[in-house]
Amino acid sequence: MTRTVLITGAGGVGKTTVAAALGVKAARSGLRTLVVTVDPARRLASALGVEELGNEPQPHAEEPDLWAAMLDATASWRAVAMRHADPEVATRLADNEFFRAASEHFPASQSYAAADQAATFVQAQAWDIVIVDTPPSGGGIDFFAAPAQMADLVGGRLLRWLTGGPLPGRRAFYNLAAKPVLRIADSVLGSDLLERVAEFLLDLRTTYDGVALRGREIERVLASAAIFVVTTSDPAPVREAIKFYRDLPGLAANPSAVIFNRILPEEWAEATAPPGTSPALEQNLARWSAETVRQRDTREEFSSRYGAQIATIPWSPKAPTDLDGLAGLLAESDGLPWAGVGIS
Amino acid sequence: MLEKRLILVSGKGGVGKSAIAAGLSLLGQRRGLRVLAMEMGSPGGLSAHFGTGPLEFEPQEIRPGLHAMQMVRSDALLEYLALQLNIKGLSRFGPLARAFDALATTAPGIREIITIGKAIWEVREDRWDVVVADAPPTGQIGSYLRAPITISELVPSGRIRAQSETMQEILRDPEATGVVVVSLPEELPVTETEETLLWLAKEDVVAPPVVVANRVLSELTDPGTPPGPVGEAATLHRSLWAEQQIWLERLPPDHTLPYLHGVFTSGEVAARMADEFELIA
Repeated sequence: MTRTVLITGAGGVGKTTVAAALGVKAARSGLRTLVVTVDPARRLASALGVEELGNEPQPHAEEPDLWAAMLDATASWRAVAMRHADPEVATRLADNEFFRAASEHFPASQSYAAADQAATFVQAQAWDIVIVDTPPSGGGIDFFAAPAQMADLVGGRLLRWLTGGPLPGRRAFYNLAAKPVLRIADSVLGSDLLERVAEFLLDLRTTYDGVALRGREIERVLASAAIFVVTTSDPAPVREAIKFYRDLPGLAANPSAVIFNRILPEEWAEATAPPGTSPALEQNLARWSAETVRQRDTREEFSSRYGAQIATIPWSPKAPTDLDGLAGLLAESDGLPWAGVGIS
Repeated sequence: MLEKRLILVSGKGGVGKSAIAAGLSLLGQRRGLRVLAMEMGSPGGLSAHFGTGPLEFEPQEIRPGLHAMQMVRSDALLEYLALQLNIKGLSRFGPLARAFDALATTAPGIREIITIGKAIWEVREDRWDVVVADAPPTGQIGSYLRAPITISELVPSGRIRAQSETMQEILRDPEATGVVVVSLPEELPVTETEETLLWLAKEDVVAPPVVVANRVLSELTDPGTPPGPVGEAATLHRSLWAEQQIWLERLPPDHTLPYLHGVFTSGEVAARMADEFELIA
């Protein structure tokens, strides 16, 4: 059976690096491993051996058990259309001027695409472990709500809102602007915009059955995954991490651990400079010591408030550029629940 | 910076743009300006820095002379319909609001024009000397700044189209509108900043932005590395500093703001940011 690990958290906390490092560790412990990333930094992509976007997993040249795929999440809606609509409707949808706008505006769509692709890899049963780095835009709780939201969107909620009635047939749109409330919208926005939007939504609706069915499959995969929340000790990403502990249980499983990245050595918290230290070095220690105290307080509060399993990864000044660098990142980590994800 | 009427603070997620928007707002307030701080995106960022509870659509005075508000699209739409089109008594849950919601999700530019339109409306109202917006992240800011053009391309007639022309003028006027792009001296934020600057130069929708690098470390002048934490902290600092130089050179920023060691309580960060801006602005 393929195990799934989802790496979530706010943008900019090193989520992708942690996902990659876990991947190296898993592969080196003998598991056939796939790391799925979205838009990694260039140095990291090259460390993983994926230089180009492509939904096809590639094996690493130096580490045969390590595979990586870099998702192109912007192609998401096109893929949904192609997979779930008639060829003729799919082409019409893909060419539609509203299509791009809708995919940009609907944050769940990128998450849906990533979740869909990840679920496909898990279902392929070709790997022992699939590690998924969730996309930044929907890196939050969105990722787990995406399948349901997507089904809701193409299911015609917007269509019903637009017409104010039950799900309409195509004919209902010929005189949309004659409806009193919509006449106002028409005068503000100019002629025929509403009808063009309605036509588009009607096409989109034909994908509903496929999207809804697939959405339930994706949800099953997500529900059985181990979830690692990555954060730094800064307030904004911590607020984001808290959301997973507060809101996730209703959507998927509880997170297995919260991983605090960029952690300073705990002994710095109490450290003072010995007599004779230069003022510059003394001030430098005092600053980093204050930062260490802040980090420790943040972790302690998180642990006591949310009962979270806390893991830490030391602050490494240089971004890893190869597999050994990635592996080294976890060499001094603490508290990661390896056994829970089958890594020995 | 504070001589503009509208300041849009953007940046990649996690670079501290809310803190910087809060800091600029506080600085304006200290200088006796009537300031409106506007949270344009999802709630929480600005209010955390002001140490207030959740912000509301209706601006509230949180310090003397400093008001703060949260953008709520449905409220902004109703206000627009009521004040500018004289259509009153609509419910935010009524059919028109829902139809607009459907449009705002699917038609390009509608959602953004309601948001950016509200900011511009506040600028024109003359209730404030300056409106400081915690704007959408750099990944989305383009579609907001371009919304008035998108609308005029999408909609051949109608009143929104006429107003979009005025909005374009205000956004393009360097005396009226300024954009601050916040970055960090790290690979991904710098790459995203570069992309944003290229896009802005190409589209010519606003005057060239001010680039601010946040969390910049100062150089450690003492080269010594004594044993124990003193030397360890010095070594870490020097490596981080050296790595930052690569990315600072590539940006390069118009202003830098320091890494705030050990500072984390709400309000404290914004106040420190305001102090720092006082030195450069």
